[in-house]
Amino acid sequence: MHWCAAPRITSKGRNTNAQFGFTNTLIDLINKEKPTHLAVVFDTSAPTERHTDFTAYKANRQDAPEDIISAIPDIKNIIRAFNLPCMEKDGFEADDLIGTLAIEAAELGYTVYMVTPDKDFGQIVRENIYMYKPPFMGNKEEILGPAEVCAKWSIKRVDQVIDILGLMGDAVDNIPGIPGIGEKTAAKLLAEYDNIENMLEHADEIKGSVGEKVRNNRELAIMSKKLATIITNVPVAFHAEDFRVKERNIEVLTELFTELEFKALGKRVLGDSYNVFDNKQQAPANGPVDLFGNPIHQKATTSPMVTAALAEDKVEEEEPLPLNVNNIDNTPHSYHLTTGNAIDELIVLLQQQTEIAFDTETTGTDANLADIVGMSFSWEKGTGYYIPLPADKDGVLEILNRFKPLFDKEEILWVGQNIKYDMLMLKWYGFALKGKVYDTMLANYVIEPEGKRSMDVLSVKYLSYQPVSIETLIGKKR
Amino acid sequence: MRDIALEEIKEYAAEDADVTLQLKHAFDPLLDKQEVRNVFQDIENPLVPVLVDIEYEGVGVDVEFLRDYSVALERDIRIAEENVFNHAGVKFNLGSPMQLGKILFEHMKIDPGAKKTKTGQYATGEDILAKLRNKHQVVEDILVYRELSKLKSTYVDALPTLINPRTGRLHTSFNQAVAVTGRLSSNNPNLQNIPIKTDRGREIRKAFIPREGCVLLSADYSQIELRIVAAISGDENMIAAFKENKDIHTATAAKVYGVAETDVTVDMRRAAKAVNFGIIYGQSAFGLAENLGISRSEAKTIIDNYFTQYPSVKGYMDTSINFAKKHGYVQTLLGRKRWLRDIYSANQTVRGYAERNAINMPVQGTAADMIKMAMINVHKALKTNGLRTKMILQVHDELVFDVPEDEVDTAREIIRDGMQSAMALPHYVPINAETGTGNNWLEAH
Repeated sequence: MHWCAAPRITSKGRNTNAQFGFTNTLIDLINKEKPTHLAVVFDTSAPTERHTDFTAYKANRQDAPEDIISAIPDIKNIIRAFNLPCMEKDGFEADDLIGTLAIEAAELGYTVYMVTPDKDFGQIVRENIYMYKPPFMGNKEEILGPAEVCAKWSIKRVDQVIDILGLMGDAVDNIPGIPGIGEKTAAKLLAEYDNIENMLEHADEIKGSVGEKVRNNRELAIMSKKLATIITNVPVAFHAEDFRVKERNIEVLTELFTELEFKALGKRVLGDSYNVFDNKQQAPANGPVDLFGNPIHQKATTSPMVTAALAEDKVEEEEPLPLNVNNIDNTPHSYHLTTGNAIDELIVLLQQQTEIAFDTETTGTDANLADIVGMSFSWEKGTGYYIPLPADKDGVLEILNRFKPLFDKEEILWVGQNIKYDMLMLKWYGFALKGKVYDTMLANYVIEPEGKRSMDVLSVKYLSYQPVSIETLIGKKR
Repeated sequence: MRDIALEEIKEYAAEDADVTLQLKHAFDPLLDKQEVRNVFQDIENPLVPVLVDIEYEGVGVDVEFLRDYSVALERDIRIAEENVFNHAGVKFNLGSPMQLGKILFEHMKIDPGAKKTKTGQYATGEDILAKLRNKHQVVEDILVYRELSKLKSTYVDALPTLINPRTGRLHTSFNQAVAVTGRLSSNNPNLQNIPIKTDRGREIRKAFIPREGCVLLSADYSQIELRIVAAISGDENMIAAFKENKDIHTATAAKVYGVAETDVTVDMRRAAKAVNFGIIYGQSAFGLAENLGISRSEAKTIIDNYFTQYPSVKGYMDTSINFAKKHGYVQTLLGRKRWLRDIYSANQTVRGYAERNAINMPVQGTAADMIKMAMINVHKALKTNGLRTKMILQVHDELVFDVPEDEVDTAREIIRDGMQSAMALPHYVPINAETGTGNNWLEAH
């Protein structure tokens, strides 16, 4: 499995890339291929025979990143919550367990797919045992049976996979092979001699530099073949009931996904029973969060390999969650258009309030150039009053003058989003709010200095409500 | 907006007020939970009406000066361009990085080790060229060409287009909710970016002029961030230097180089100044070395000496990072907070960035808070005292006012007092606001 490098971080600072990538792959697999039985296999930290035989074995591999090592317990918990087994055995690599289990299951009559892109599994492939290379970077999944494996290496039988790897080596697994012998030469040698042992017996007959290389590296060839050989008699058993894909433990998974802050993924795995906006999550995460409550990744590294994985991530977490975000059409509200005498009645009501939300509608974004088109007021959730203002300045002033006593009241707290703009608009007409102000944009700014804070963004994030957008309004005209 | 049916607007507009009110109720408990209500109530909200007045007032622009300056710049730009063509022996499009890269590195072979960018072009960014200055005169000419072109297009030619036809003045917008440190930012124009390092850049400030019968008064906090460092860290040496009204860079140089203050050379002072400012931003020895053009080991020695002389400063830096690790945020003296989740990252680059911010934000943020408080205080005092003086600009650590000539002395006193008493610093570190007046911003500063 490849690992994403871009930090996916929870509100408590935990990196959850590995858990996310794994869970994604697991659920994709289950949904797409619908296996009846499934197991996940792990390496352990204990050295294996391969390590003791050959100290350079896998030495060139970087130590698994800290984030991945610390993610393994979570991953194992997730697997167990799926009611699937985590298989591992000291002294043996995951490959060996897979090989052993695959053969055992096949003998019991199952059709087995080994989910891995690694080359050496070709040797296990036979009737009823396939290699399943997962989809990667836009390529579809690949299923390899004996014919495909042989075609890939230009060999006759799958048991020659270890011979060809023994000859050409494998950089990733640090199987040395014979220096200077690549895939083509190895294939030719095997075509002639069938396997490494036979080839070594006839080593003197091999002409040219290839012959020399073979003769000088007998030990290495044998050792390499051994390193490439997957052990198939690991003391581990296939257990039909344990491996059966059954009901998931919704409770435990919910808890795990909540802790890891997987919102959309949680929904995908658990369906509607996974309540994204439950009580625990009402208080927004203490960090920059996007529209759907997911922590915003602040520094993304870019490398071609990561891009695909990131693209997967993006698709997941940026899917809209229509079920949980409301809008004007499904929310009870009482909005009034106030004109003429009704304005004076409104002013009487406003005079009785201590806290009034205020907003202006204008002809432009520069308050020093725009004309006012209307004003809105609200003091009770779900209600609002809109007063349209005429195009002529005298008409505007006439109406605004009626509001002067209200504007002059020092006891009123004026609530607004970027209320500086509205105050500037009023100033151009000669009016000022004498009371104190409460700017919601600034409130959000001191609570969380980073991120977007337009009213729409804040509304979705904190109220789960998508306001009418200006585009639908103005767009309609076109 | 005016063309839309009233019924439709009503829904949209009334909803705005409704939603805003609900947002208030959503945020209120969070203000208390995160203990930032005082910043909100005492600094941000009271600043709103001050900014309204500033934006409404605008600033005068000397359009004629800008026109003349534009012509002069154009002339100098052409000369620089000619020089480049002469050196290169060929005419090409100086504005095209691709062509420039080819000319410099393939045709003229200025730098054999020239790097390419991801798109396969040669890198010709300013930082790259700055390093190649002494390789060939052509580089200097290119840099001059670029600087003057940018000056002309971004400021000299742009400012006149921003003048408001209603007032004939320039009305900068101030953003109160953008900078994560708590600082104000501005646009149309972005005052922060007006060049100050070169002479040609500074000339731009000549374009900002007072009203008829007025002068411009500029009031600037001197070394406010360093004073805050001294106060927050409690470093005795640094505090003493400020209390004794010393030139902090000279005093620092004396300490770092182990000489008497009278023996501090220009280079020593420059190095000390670089460290003083670098420290606030968590600069490394490498960064300092690059900045001063010295070796990394020299830079490291300077930094080591610096911390030996100002031990509590190092203490402050460590404390800040530990605080961030423990709480997930850092804060200013008045409690403005910045969340630094990346402090937990296993990725060293990401974590390092968070650590530098842990050091920097409390300092920059406290400075931001102080200036905002000063603005609130001065605005009020000017009104209370019935003055016609108007605050017109805020940038970096500076406030600019349009002052009727007969009010200059009174205004100066009120402004300086308002700024120096905006916020008391721990350990009684003194705060200095210096003022100047003039017939344009360059003169006043």
